[in-house]
Amino acid sequence: MRTVQRYLPLFLFLLVLGLFSSSCKKEDSKPAFQLSFEHEVAGQDLVMFTQWYDCAAGHKFQVHRLKYYLSNFNFQKLDGTTFQTGLVQYIDLEDPSTLSLLLQEVPEGEYTGMSFIIGLDEFTNVNGGLPNTITNINMEWPLPGDQGYHYMKFEGRYDSLGMGSIKNFNLHTGATGGNQNYVQVQLQFDNSINVNSGTWNIHLMMDLNEWLQNPHVYDFETFGPMIMANQDAQQILKENGADVFSVKAIEKE
Amino acid sequence: MKQFYFFLLASSMLAGLAACTDDTVAPEDNWVYAPTPYQLQVPAHFPILEIPEDNPTTEEGVWLGRMLYYDPITHADSAKSCATCHVQEHSFTSDPTVIPHINLGWSKNFLWNGKLQNGLEDAMLFEVSEFFKTDLSRLEQHPDYPRYFYEAFGERTITYELAAKALAQFERTMISANSKYDRVLYGDQTEFFTDAELNGWEIFFTEKGDCFHCHGGILFTDNDFHNNALDTEPDDGLMAITGNPLDKGRFKTPTLRNIALTGPYMHDGRYETLEEVIDFYSEGLKRSDTVDPLMKSVHLGGKHLTEQEKSDLLAFLLTLTDSTYITNKNLASPF
Repeated sequence: MRTVQRYLPLFLFLLVLGLFSSSCKKEDSKPAFQLSFEHEVAGQDLVMFTQWYDCAAGHKFQVHRLKYYLSNFNFQKLDGTTFQTGLVQYIDLEDPSTLSLLLQEVPEGEYTGMSFIIGLDEFTNVNGGLPNTITNINMEWPLPGDQGYHYMKFEGRYDSLGMGSIKNFNLHTGATGGNQNYVQVQLQFDNSINVNSGTWNIHLMMDLNEWLQNPHVYDFETFGPMIMANQDAQQILKENGADVFSVKAIEKE
Repeated sequence: MKQFYFFLLASSMLAGLAACTDDTVAPEDNWVYAPTPYQLQVPAHFPILEIPEDNPTTEEGVWLGRMLYYDPITHADSAKSCATCHVQEHSFTSDPTVIPHINLGWSKNFLWNGKLQNGLEDAMLFEVSEFFKTDLSRLEQHPDYPRYFYEAFGERTITYELAAKALAQFERTMISANSKYDRVLYGDQTEFFTDAELNGWEIFFTEKGDCFHCHGGILFTDNDFHNNALDTEPDDGLMAITGNPLDKGRFKTPTLRNIALTGPYMHDGRYETLEEVIDFYSEGLKRSDTVDPLMKSVHLGGKHLTEQEKSDLLAFLLTLTDSTYITNKNLASPF
């Protein structure tokens, strides 16, 4: 009890100091970006497992699984400077907690666009390059001779053009045979946003159908379900991947 | 000198007083709650082991958990203990319906059909309160358990929650990381794969055999649920828990660590040997509505490995056996 009495003034002093400093902080708190990751197929809502979609190669396909990494987020300002973050975002359609990313302490400015990588750059995409969590371990890319992680697991099934059999497809992208294969994405905002306070919600939309077209028609039949070590398939997906994302909306909270 | 005599007198009076007090005090007043943190030996090449903040691993908790694991007192009729079905020499299983207890500290889902998905403490809570229906009054009246619980948790009332916590602590010490695979890849480079094992390793970790997408990573399980194309009319699996028809035939991926010790195989034990299991993945796949897309060759009936590839794959699977795990004295019966 005596100890409590002795330290009570100090405790109160610290408490008041704490309250004071936290209220100060609030006043000059920096703006934030809340990124949300949304998914569709050729403009239609994504319904997993049951919905059939058409693709450019003529197949109908279903989506059963989608897991991927985004990294190297970079926001560009009108004055030519940028805001970058080293955060790596793991996205799993079956885990809603992975479908958004809050970036705090965003520097003020007039922002005109953003860029990021689908996958991981060559510095992160090495064995042990990400924290040793169960999630990351399940994304490992263990092919002998290769390194790192799956950038994306996009899996489902397709009909083989009336040939009487449903087959599985596995668009597993990653680095193979010395090719990094990550996808660099650049998105311009329709109108620049003047960020000086508050939280800005940036809705990013991935159209899964775009993996299968533009500029190349990707045909599941051509490459089969096993493409991890097939650089021709990886190259097509890398080039198709550049425009799978768009900025659907930006709003201030 | 006078002072010295006074000191002697005073101290003997005090001692006498203390002795008197001792006579009137129940033994439990002398129990000490000062748990010692348990140094979990998590290998560097294993994932981060997440331990709930409200159940840190302690020497006292692990000891209590180990006692409970092996003591039939935990069962309502004393018919069995955990160790009756989870037999150490079989990597803590005994029957295909009994999931082996190995590296469960990293597990998120429990039981073949994923009935329990809220962590190890919750799984153990189910085991004592519902599966074994432990009679807590028998633990309360036991000459030692009340003290063990106090020493582990500082609580004088024994509850299902505390028993579950102790069991979870013991389970977290059940780490198997000393197979030939571990020693070859992460050891001091004095052991090597044979040619057959090396070839099997390539089959396992490439799309040739494509085992790794579900049984990959250092734990040799993805902690997820899949329909592995076992039947045209699959058993319920996860659907029994979720009610979702899309989960029909989806079962928890078992770890392949110590797989040679844990047959028969599949959730219903239909395959006696690993050779039969490999034959199944090679030629025996059957389509059903919920087959996992990762079963890439289901339209061909399987991977169609050659006999040589099958035997090399088997050789690799045998490198996953950790014989030190099944003889580890710290995991053996304390009785």
